Amino acid sequence: MEAVTFPRYSFAKRLRSMLKVDFKRMFKSRLFYILLACALVMPILMTVMMTMMDGSVSVDPQTGVETVIHGPENTWQSIGTLPTADGAAMGGMDVMAMCNINMMFMLVCVFVCIFICDDFRSGYAKNLFTVRARKGDYVISKTLAGFVCGALMLICYFAGAVLGGGICGLSFAFPGFSAGSLVLCMIAKVFLMPVFVAIFVLISVAAKQKAWLSICGSLGGGMLLFMTVSLITPLNATVIHPILTLAGGLIFAVGLGFASRRVLDTTSLV
Amino acid sequence: MNAIEIKDLSKNFGPKQAVCGLNMTVPMGAIYGFIGENGSGKSTTEKMICGLIPKSGGTIRLYGKDHTDEAVRAGMGVLIEAPGCFPGLTVWDNMMLQAANLAIANAEAEVIRALKTVRMEGAAGNKYKNCSLGMKQRVGIAMALLGDPKLLVLDEPLNGLDADGMRIMREVFTDIVSDGKRSILVSSHLLGELQKVATHYGIIRHGKMIRQMTAQELEESCRTYIALKSDTMSKAKALLGCRYNRVEEDEAGYLRVYDPVTPEDVVTYLYESGIPVTEIMTDKIGLEEYYIDLMKEGE
Repeated sequence: MEAVTFPRYSFAKRLRSMLKVDFKRMFKSRLFYILLACALVMPILMTVMMTMMDGSVSVDPQTGVETVIHGPENTWQSIGTLPTADGAAMGGMDVMAMCNINMMFMLVCVFVCIFICDDFRSGYAKNLFTVRARKGDYVISKTLAGFVCGALMLICYFAGAVLGGGICGLSFAFPGFSAGSLVLCMIAKVFLMPVFVAIFVLISVAAKQKAWLSICGSLGGGMLLFMTVSLITPLNATVIHPILTLAGGLIFAVGLGFASRRVLDTTSLV
Repeated sequence: MNAIEIKDLSKNFGPKQAVCGLNMTVPMGAIYGFIGENGSGKSTTEKMICGLIPKSGGTIRLYGKDHTDEAVRAGMGVLIEAPGCFPGLTVWDNMMLQAANLAIANAEAEVIRALKTVRMEGAAGNKYKNCSLGMKQRVGIAMALLGDPKLLVLDEPLNGLDADGMRIMREVFTDIVSDGKRSILVSSHLLGELQKVATHYGIIRHGKMIRQMTAQELEESCRTYIALKSDTMSKAKALLGCRYNRVEEDEAGYLRVYDPVTPEDVVTYLYESGIPVTEIMTDKIGLEEYYIDLMKEGE
């Protein structure tokens, strides 16, 4: 009887085929487009609402202290903050400074968690891991898919911020920074995305079918780093910022990728 | 070389031992019927073979290589519990995803071939969530057949299939192993259907393999029995029950005498007691009865 032969595939071929599946699924997923739409609409709505509330006074019912609400003055307030000598951001620490493009780092966890959870909930993981002995391929593929989704969300948010600024007639000037540093700021944010995606992938492969657990865990885990995003990616970013975030992104993606692979290797996949 | 060779396999879930010291050999070219009660460890064993859950001890070798070998695993087809499909996607899209996973070169042609094999080519455009149970099962089998797998691991593949579906599956299974290189490990509670195709059997109980045999050995192990009919069945049953150890009435209304006696002895005995026999025949017990007997022995 002839011997049975099994073809061995290269890492590139394995990864290419897995990426093909994940990107196909991602671009067919309704959730992906909903998140992109949210990323586009959120800055428009927030800018419009804050502009409408500009100058209105709120009174604390207990103390009677009046607070004047300030609307955005500059379009780029939705994109980031400028560190000042006393640590405050451009325009002060207002709602726009807290709820800006950095929220996308947290929102992308919804996509990553549900994307991975679906694999386990549908039983697709059984098909996949039977023919795919190497769990590393899976982790790399999911991290890349999450990264692309996150990067597109950042771009959509940027577009939404520009639209919102245009609708509300906000200034497009660059006070204290330049157009180049704004581009570097955006690149730094994109490079920072793998840090968050790697955390979400790790939590999702540990939680498997339990989407609620992975989303809650991811929000909690992401929060630990969230506050540092505005410091690492300021509006007046220099070349060093994208380099630092790229290095950080790679270190986190590789390190947490190994941890995710270890989780998949040692736990039940069904 | 064997398709699957398992030695001293064990799996613990906390303090509970689901599989303990299991030994199993699936020869190349075999359709191996894996039989056992609910919770006996069949699915756990299959999941360990497929690398879906880590084993606690023992070795699993597939075609002479460790079961974690990526090349061997890429040559497997699997259907465990339920087909792993995304409900919102169509049958075609789900199949294409799995074809992409397997890095199949001419994916479309391969998906069409697999769907045609299970007579599902007409439902390729249906959303998976809208398929009936039997259709879903066929999709699961078609998915397992993608990429010409060398080893198929199928857990209850016949569940939900209609008579035609079962016949098709029997043909598919027989066709797959016809070259003598590919093998199928199939677990099913439909023992009658399994007996029609299986070439080897393994019976598992409480996580241990209690018997492994070929279809030929099963045939030889199956005892003969005498089935008869009489005008006064209740009297005949009572009378035979007094003389023989095991007398049972089957679903078709025949009285079965399992003791090692000749039909002549039984007819003579009843005739002398004034009970005429209207019909009598000898037959062999099937896999189902053999299995039930074996389980009773264990108790």
